[in-house]
Amino acid sequence: MLRTVNLQKKYTTDEVETTALVNVNLHVRKGEFVAIMGPSGCGKSTLLNIIGLLDNPSSGEFYFLDQEISKCNERQRANLRKKHIGFVFQSFNLIDELTVYENVELPLIYLKIGNAERKQRVEQALEQMQIAHRRNHFPQQLSGGQQQRVAIARAVISKPELLLADEPTGNLDSAHGQEVMQLLSGLNEQGTTIVMVTHSPSDADYAHRIVNLFDGQIISENVKELAIL
Amino acid sequence: MLKNYFLVAVRTLRRHLGYTMLNVVGLALGITCSLLIFLVVRHELSFNANHSKADRIYRINVDKMDQTGPTHSSGTPSPMLATFKTTLPEFTPATHIYREEGGTFAIEPTTAQGAVKRFREEEPLLFVEPAFFELFDIETDGVNAKEAIKDLNTVLLTKSIAEKFFPEQNAVGKTLRMNNLITLKVTGVIPDAPTTTDLPYSMLVDYESSKKINTFMNDSWNSTSSNQQIYFAAPEGASLKQAEDRLNEVAAKYRARAPGEKERFVFQPLSELHFDERYSTFSDRTVSKTILWGLALIGMFLVLVASINFVNLATAQALRRAKEVGMRKVLGASKTQLMTQFLGETGLITLLAVLLSVVLAELLLPYLNQLLEVEIKLYVLQRPDVLLFLVILLVTVTFFAGFYPALVLSGFQPISALKSKVATARTAGLSLRQVLVVLQFTICQALIICTIIVHNQMEYFRTAELGFDKEAIVTMPMPAGRASELMALRSELEAHPAIKSTSFALTPPSYNMDMKMSLRYDDFSIVRNFDVNVKVADEHYLKTFNIPLIAGRMYEKGDTLRDFVVNETFLKRVGETNPQNALGKKIQINGGQTVGTIVGVIKDFHLTSLREEIEPVLMGTFTRFYFFANAKIEAKNSKAALAHLQKVWSTAYPDDVFDYEFLDDTVARFYEEEARQSYLFKVFSVIAILIGCLGLYGLVSFMVTQRTKEVGVRKVLGASSASIVGLFSKDFTKLVLVAFVIAAPVSYYFMEKWLQDFTYRIDISYWVFLAAGALTLLIALATVSVQALRAALSNPVHALKTE
Repeated sequence: MLRTVNLQKKYTTDEVETTALVNVNLHVRKGEFVAIMGPSGCGKSTLLNIIGLLDNPSSGEFYFLDQEISKCNERQRANLRKKHIGFVFQSFNLIDELTVYENVELPLIYLKIGNAERKQRVEQALEQMQIAHRRNHFPQQLSGGQQQRVAIARAVISKPELLLADEPTGNLDSAHGQEVMQLLSGLNEQGTTIVMVTHSPSDADYAHRIVNLFDGQIISENVKELAIL
Repeated sequence: MLKNYFLVAVRTLRRHLGYTMLNVVGLALGITCSLLIFLVVRHELSFNANHSKADRIYRINVDKMDQTGPTHSSGTPSPMLATFKTTLPEFTPATHIYREEGGTFAIEPTTAQGAVKRFREEEPLLFVEPAFFELFDIETDGVNAKEAIKDLNTVLLTKSIAEKFFPEQNAVGKTLRMNNLITLKVTGVIPDAPTTTDLPYSMLVDYESSKKINTFMNDSWNSTSSNQQIYFAAPEGASLKQAEDRLNEVAAKYRARAPGEKERFVFQPLSELHFDERYSTFSDRTVSKTILWGLALIGMFLVLVASINFVNLATAQALRRAKEVGMRKVLGASKTQLMTQFLGETGLITLLAVLLSVVLAELLLPYLNQLLEVEIKLYVLQRPDVLLFLVILLVTVTFFAGFYPALVLSGFQPISALKSKVATARTAGLSLRQVLVVLQFTICQALIICTIIVHNQMEYFRTAELGFDKEAIVTMPMPAGRASELMALRSELEAHPAIKSTSFALTPPSYNMDMKMSLRYDDFSIVRNFDVNVKVADEHYLKTFNIPLIAGRMYEKGDTLRDFVVNETFLKRVGETNPQNALGKKIQINGGQTVGTIVGVIKDFHLTSLREEIEPVLMGTFTRFYFFANAKIEAKNSKAALAHLQKVWSTAYPDDVFDYEFLDDTVARFYEEEARQSYLFKVFSVIAILIGCLGLYGLVSFMVTQRTKEVGVRKVLGASSASIVGLFSKDFTKLVLVAFVIAAPVSYYFMEKWLQDFTYRIDISYWVFLAAGALTLLIALATVSVQALRAALSNPVHALKTE
C-alpha cells in the first residue's frame, strides 16, 4: 500500500532548523492496521500528514500505491487523496455549517458522484455508523462520540483503501473511545488499511503492528500478529 | 456542488449575522451612492439626446475677444438667420427660437358674471417657427404643430398649463392675454416638455408674436440678446469649419467692431449645449463634464471604500473559516473550487447589498431630486441601462471585494488550517491590508478636506462684504417700459412706516442682467478699450442700497442720461488716480448720442457673483430702462411692508401679477450650484467616513482575534488595559499619518484648481488639513478603541487557551 525510504522532514524558520523525521523507513501493506506511537513532538503527526499527502517530505522517497509521490504536483496529490485516502482527526473537523448528512456527502460531491448514488451511499454509511437518526442535525448538536462517528462515516464514504486516523479517541471518554475503535477495527476487517497515530496503549491494542517513534526516528516495531497478506 | 456552496454561504452568513450586517450595510451604502450618482450622471448626459437629428443639430454662438479677455454668447443678431439661409442653403432646416422667461397671463371669463383670471408663470415660453418642428422631435400627441403656430398670435399649450389655465375645459379655441401686450389663441394642447432638454417650454408661441413681447429687439446687426438663438441641421458629412468660415466672411460685412476686437460666429453641436458653461442655455442650467466625472469618481471611491471594507471584514473572518477550508482540502477540494465557493459567497453578500441599495436609492431619490432640482426616477426593471449598471456593479464589486479574501482562504495549507494556525496578517513590510487601509483613510481625509474648503468658500460667499446692503431689501419687477406708473405713486409707496427708502432702477446692484456700452472719456477722439457697465437708476439708489460716495455727489432727479456717477474701477481703467480730478470730466456713450458729466465717484460694489471681477460702472438716470422697484424695509416688520408694497404696486398695475424677491435670495442664487456641490460633498464625506469606520471596526476585530495570545501573555506579564489599547492604536495612528501625507497635497491641488474659478476666494489655510487629519485620527482611534478594549478587558487565561 505504501512505503517510505529514508524519509526526512525538516522545518526551517529564519534562524532555526528543526528535524521532525529522520530516515524513516516504513512499509504498510494492504489490509494492515498500523498504530504509530510515541511521545508528543516525536513526529507522529508529521509522518501521518506526509502519508496522507497533506505535506511533502524534505528528502527521501514515498511510494503510495506503487507511485512515487514526490514527483506529483498539488493537483495530482489532491486527486489521489480524494480517491484513495480517508481521514479521521482527534478534533473531528466537521464543517459546522453543514448537517450530519451534508458533511458525510461532501467527499462524494468532490468526486462528482451522481445524486442518486450519493444519497444511497450516505444513507448506508449513516446506518453503518448508527447515526442515521441524527442526519439533519448540525455537529454542535451532537456528542463527541457521535461527531467522531460522523467523521468516520465521512472518511469511509468514498470507500478509500487507506484510512488515516490522528488520535481518533483523543477527545472522547473511554466508552465512546471504545465504540470508535470497534468501528475502525470493523472497517479494517472489511479490508480497509488503517494507519493510526495514538497515545493510548489500549487503542494501539486494536492494531496489528505498533511502530514506536522517538525524536523523528522509528526506534522499534511490535508485531502483534501476522499481517493478513 | 452549487447547492452545497449555497447552503454553507447562507448558514455562515446567518450564523455571523453581525458581520453579515456590517458587510451588507457597508456595501449597500457605497452602492446606493454610486447608483444615485449614476442616475444623476445619466440624467445629465441624456440632455438633448432624444431628437432624431441630434447629432446634426447646431447652435450659432458668438465668440468675442478684446483687451478685457474673451466673451461668449449664444445670442445672435436678428438678420443673421436670413444671411445664414442664403449663404448656406444646404444647411436646413434652420430656425430662430426666442425665449421669454415666463410672464403674466390673463384669461377672460367664460360667463358674464365671472372675473378675469390672472396667472404669473415662471416657466419659460418659446416663440418658434414651423421649422422648429422639422428640426426637433417634439411630442405633439397628434396635433399638427407646424400648422397650429403658422399664424400670428397662436399658441400651443402644454398639458399642465392647459389644465391650470382652463381647468375641466377644452383649451383649444380659447384666448389668453400675455403681459397685457398680445392676445394669443390656443390652437392645440401638447404633452409637457421632457425634463432633459435645454429647450424647455410651458407654451410654444408663433415666432412673429415675439416682436411685440420683446420691444427692445430690432433688426440691427449690432444688437443681440441671449434669448434669441439660431439652431440648424447640418447635412450629413458637411464640413462645419468651411461653412463657419463662409458665414463669418459674409457676416463681417455687416457687423461693426471696436478697434482690436475679434469676433467669430461658431457652430456649437447640440450634444455640447448642456456641458459648455461658457454659453448660456434656455434651461439656464449647464453642467461641466468635469463636475460629472468628479461625481462619478466620488461614486467609484465610495464603492472602493466599501469594497476595501469587505476585504478587511472577510479576511477577519478567514480565521473562522480556516477549519472548513482545511477539511475541504483534505477531502480533495481544489483551489479553484474553493475560490469559486468564496467568490460565490461574496456575490451573495453583494447581491443582498445591491437589493438593499435599490430600496435605499428609491427612498433617497425624492431628496436628491429636491436638492438638485431635477426629476429622476429609478425604474430598475423598466430601464435596461440601470439594470445593466447594477449587474456590472454586482460583478465588479464581487470580484474586487471577493478576490483577495478568496485567494487567502483557498491558499491555506490544509494542516495549518485544521489547526487554525494560519498566518495571514503577519507579513514582513507593507501588507496588502495596510495598503488598503491607507487608501481608505486617504479617500476619507481628502473628502473631509474638500468638504471643509468648499464649505468655507460658501460661507465666504454668504458673508462677504459686497459693497452694498442686501438684507431687508425687496426687489419687485415692473412691466417693461411702464416704470412711470409706479414712480408716480412713490410717496404712497414710502407712506408706510416699515418702508425706509425706495429706488427705481434697471436692476439691483447684483443681478444677472446688465447693459454694456463702449465709451469715450475726457478726450473724445479715442474710444476706450473697455465696455462700461451702465447701471441706470434713480437718485435714491445709493441711499437705498447704502453704497458710499467717495467724491462729489449723487446726481439729481432726471428722465434721461445727463449727470454720471462712476465707480473706482472705472477711474482705474481710465487712469485717473485722484477721484476729485474725475469730477467734471465729460463722458460720451451710446455711439456719441449721449454726453454727460461726472458728478460723483462711488466705492466699488460687486455686480454679479464673486466669480467675476468688478467691472467699471457708470450710473445715470433713464426712466425708460427702469425694470425694478427696490425697497429697503424694516426687517422685523417685513410682512406689513410686503402687504403695503403689493397694494401700491397693484394700484399701479391692476392688470399684472405682483412678484417680488428679497435681494439676499437673489444674491444666494448666484451660488446655487456651489451650494449644491457643498451639500453633496458633506453627504458623501459622512458616508465615506461611516463606511470606513465599519471597515476599521472589522479590521481591528480581525487583529484582536489574531493577537489574542499576545494580549494574554502581555496581560499575564502585567500590561494595563490602556497599554493594550495603545498597542492597537499605535498601528492605526501610523496608517492615518501615511494617508494624511498622501491626501493633503492631492486635495490641496484639486481644491486650489476649484478655487481658481473664483476671482474672490478664500486662501486655503493649514488648519483645514490639520483639522481633517485630527478628525480622521479621532474617528479611527474611537473605532479602534471599542474593539481593542474588548481584548484588553478579556481574561488572559482564556486568551492563552486559544493556542
